[in-house]
Amino acid sequence: MNAYDVIIIGGGHNGLTTAAYLAKAGRKILVLERRSLLGGAAATEELFPDFHFNTGSSHAGLLLPQVVDDLQLQRHGLEFLDSPVAAYAPQPDGRALTLWRDSNQNPVEIAQFSQNDAEAYPQFLRLVNKLTRVLRNILPLTPPNPKAASLSDLFPWLRPALQAKGLGDEDLMEFMRIIPMTTKELLDEWFESDALKGLLGLPSVAGSMQGPQASGTAFMLLYQQLGVSNAGLQSSRFVKGGVGQVSAALAKAAQAHSAEIRIDVPVAEIIIEDGQAVGIRLEDGEVIKAKAIVSNASPRHTFFELASPSHLPVKIMRRVRNIRYRGSTAKVLLALNDLPLFNSAPPSLEHLSGHIVIASSLDLIERAYDDAKYGRISQSPVMDITIPSILDDTLSPAGKHIMEITFRYAPYNLSTNNWDKQKDELGKLAIDTLAAYAPDIKDLILHQYVITPQDYESDYGQPEGSIFHGQMGLDQLLFMRPIAGYAQYRSPIHNLYLCGAGTHPGGGLTSAPGFNAAREILRKRK
Amino acid sequence: MTKRYDAIIIGGGHNGLVTAAYLARAGKKVLVLEQRHVLGGAATTEEIYPGFKFTVFSYVVSLLRPEIIRDLELTKHGLTILPLESTVTPLPGGDYIYRGPDHWKTYRNIARFSQRDAEAYDEYSRMMYYMAKAVKYILEIIPPDPTSLKPGEIGGLLDMARHFLKLPEEQFYTLVKLMTMSSADFLEEWFETDPLIATMSASGIIGTFLGPRSPGTAYVLLHHYMGEIDGVFRAWGFAKGGTGGISNAIASAAQSLGAEIRTEARVAEVIVKNGKAAGVTLENGDEIYAKTVASSLDPNLTFLELLDEKHLPDELLDDVRKYKTRGSSGKVNLALDALPEFKSVPQGREVLRGAISFSPSVNYLERAYDDAKYGDFSRQPYIDMILPSMIDPEMAPPGKHVMSCFVQYAPYELREGTWDDKREAFGDAVINTLSEHIPNLKKLILHRQVLTPYDIEQQIGLSQGNIFQGELSLSQLFFLRPAPGYAKYRTPVRGYYQCGSAAHPGGGITGAPGRLAAFEILKDGLL
Repeated sequence: MNAYDVIIIGGGHNGLTTAAYLAKAGRKILVLERRSLLGGAAATEELFPDFHFNTGSSHAGLLLPQVVDDLQLQRHGLEFLDSPVAAYAPQPDGRALTLWRDSNQNPVEIAQFSQNDAEAYPQFLRLVNKLTRVLRNILPLTPPNPKAASLSDLFPWLRPALQAKGLGDEDLMEFMRIIPMTTKELLDEWFESDALKGLLGLPSVAGSMQGPQASGTAFMLLYQQLGVSNAGLQSSRFVKGGVGQVSAALAKAAQAHSAEIRIDVPVAEIIIEDGQAVGIRLEDGEVIKAKAIVSNASPRHTFFELASPSHLPVKIMRRVRNIRYRGSTAKVLLALNDLPLFNSAPPSLEHLSGHIVIASSLDLIERAYDDAKYGRISQSPVMDITIPSILDDTLSPAGKHIMEITFRYAPYNLSTNNWDKQKDELGKLAIDTLAAYAPDIKDLILHQYVITPQDYESDYGQPEGSIFHGQMGLDQLLFMRPIAGYAQYRSPIHNLYLCGAGTHPGGGLTSAPGFNAAREILRKRK
Repeated sequence: MTKRYDAIIIGGGHNGLVTAAYLARAGKKVLVLEQRHVLGGAATTEEIYPGFKFTVFSYVVSLLRPEIIRDLELTKHGLTILPLESTVTPLPGGDYIYRGPDHWKTYRNIARFSQRDAEAYDEYSRMMYYMAKAVKYILEIIPPDPTSLKPGEIGGLLDMARHFLKLPEEQFYTLVKLMTMSSADFLEEWFETDPLIATMSASGIIGTFLGPRSPGTAYVLLHHYMGEIDGVFRAWGFAKGGTGGISNAIASAAQSLGAEIRTEARVAEVIVKNGKAAGVTLENGDEIYAKTVASSLDPNLTFLELLDEKHLPDELLDDVRKYKTRGSSGKVNLALDALPEFKSVPQGREVLRGAISFSPSVNYLERAYDDAKYGDFSRQPYIDMILPSMIDPEMAPPGKHVMSCFVQYAPYELREGTWDDKREAFGDAVINTLSEHIPNLKKLILHRQVLTPYDIEQQIGLSQGNIFQGELSLSQLFFLRPAPGYAKYRTPVRGYYQCGSAAHPGGGITGAPGRLAAFEILKDGLL
């Protein structure tokens, strides 16, 4: 007799999503989280007394609306905060480009940089919205297995297929043409202003060890736009209390359906008998059995650490080994005594409430990548900064603020030094870079906390610090994710499933992998 | 001039000549018009310096479709392909990596660096053989239109899906990876020796404006594997007499089938009457009439230069303007007084009859690319060298030699200055890079020809000097090449066709676009 139907290893947002859906379907669920707080990379942590930081994802714009509704997350405490400004990009010359959530305002803003771009922008947004509408519908679908697809596997794909067809011949061709393009190619076709291209291009290289001249980054540009449609190609949807509240709401939803959630319980091993996953052993030796095991951990951790690789056929092992991770993201978190003053003097507080983008051209992003390519931290980094405390006074003491800097690029594999020695250097680079735009920043810092790719690996279980559990290159998407032949959330080991960002559709705070995995698990166990 | 032809072919490059030969073979009255004094386009051999024959632009052959050789009896018309069997990579420390026809020699050579790689090399070669065989199918079909609901088009798509889905599992997934990955990442799944990975991945950057770590280059790698000489896949060869020998053989075949070929006849404009192509106007004002016209030039010229915009829908104009033809390579050809002495290449004539690749590491290639990304030529470029006179002694006077260096990267658009100012500096960068491996090189040079992307454009009309008439990136392949809706060799003007490398399946001396275009022209029955 198993005490549980399903054990979920890892209480990240995807694991919790799977847990909630399975519990809702009446299964007896146990979630095991090794850290002392839930959420994985969707967590908000009190790093310094009364200062709460989003240590992983900083926004929740990609979260599937379907999950929010199904699990009634708003009833469980989730409250979105939409910033009026999508992105504010101060420029080296003291000017700044602002993109508003209300896209009618944007042509005027862009016209300060280029009249042509201002005219092209609404048309560009229309195209992007058309294309993302198709993409959005493939998030909550299980990729078919092209080598063994049955009609019933393909049936759910009929809708996006028809929708793609509905784009019309011209847009459909455009869709196929754009997906493998580079961000630079795409944006160069539309715009001339470096400021605009840098701002729009930065999200497309998030999470990958690629510059904006790499094929497939145009796809990532669309992916980052998949969530709540907005004007700046960056989600500016934040969460009251921090994105950790998404995880908290998911946990409450799961618990409301009687799922059990334990923290501080690192899993040492998945117990496999006769090729079947039958339970887990905790690091303290406790053994818990279940009919099925779901891993929210990365494919590498799941197959090489939790399950012994000896259970995998050689060719599968090779596929798992070949997954490219290559983390390149670091975070610099600052507790501030006050808001910094920018050279570009934003006319209102609102301007700073979305993303503050330090990437004044695509070349600057590419050059930042060049450093990382040879194992160096970018000496002129590009940065995506948020100050969530502007919209949300629960994150910091009154009058004080938190600033979250996503730093690009910080390569996991450093050629010269180890990360312990480079951590301070990275923090200094981030602050010096910002100081060129906001000179008083250095005087405002009360506390500073740096998360390197190595920290993301050791503390957050992201191999090589890959925030997406595997680079989202064209070769690691859809039926190739996490590995060819096993994109249906199942694994070569019976009753062992995957539900993390390493599976389709990939990383980001979407809940989609968790949502899809739950559906597959229930389908199997009918 | 009122003589009337069935078809006029604009451009006497190898593809234009192939189209001409196939149309002539079908009994049509064909005229080929070439702007230069010499045929071949990018496939020419020219005596640039007395007694020395330069393969000025393209220099090796592998991809020429065997069915073309058969159909046009090119062997009878003088085509002889000499094997180019080995590749050697000189390394900075004086060492080298050799790969050649002798299996065990190659094995032993790679094993000096890594036993694992030596073993993987066989498996890899087998796998790429199957990959090339699988993709060869694509070279032989006309791209179906995925947006069309016509039964023929849907049938074509289903046939293609079936063809690929019936591949064994490993092959199918490997193909997906080849279509999407970077060449270095793809090779790193197989090998660990960096200079070996670098040299092999270099096939993935040739002719593209991408580095070995840029996704998309694995496809170019595969494209270079698709060659087949006498039924042997991945065999590279050197045409006797240089690549001009290929063009001359095709021209001779076309002429023997009745085609007329005129050189130094530059076309200024395509004549369109009642929405249909009716002939061409030459630059000297002559008008020549024909029932159909086919252009082997790139889309920029085919659509924007030769036609009046009013004949083209806006979407196509837009697509042609977006079509990427960023040139990335140059050429340095040298006449040498004697055989160069390599510091780190094993002595022996055999090695010098193969390719010598200056690609010591993946990072070396990436750095070369970094220069180009921001509008400079590579200070230390990737160089693919052959010594044509070692393979075909008739290329140079006895005891003397010609050296052909393909050089990457050289961007068409320089950030500062013009190519006229920088041409010699670019040549110097190449010679200096080579001199590190060939200390006596500078003393041997009798004549030096430096060709930048700008020169390639000016001399043979490849826009921006792109050797493939447009990048071989996923966004510009198959039914997207050269523009959505125009991948079937036709244009919006009735009776006006495309038959060059900008059409499916793309660049390289394949003859495939020329041949497939001829079939489509004949199918329309306008002539």
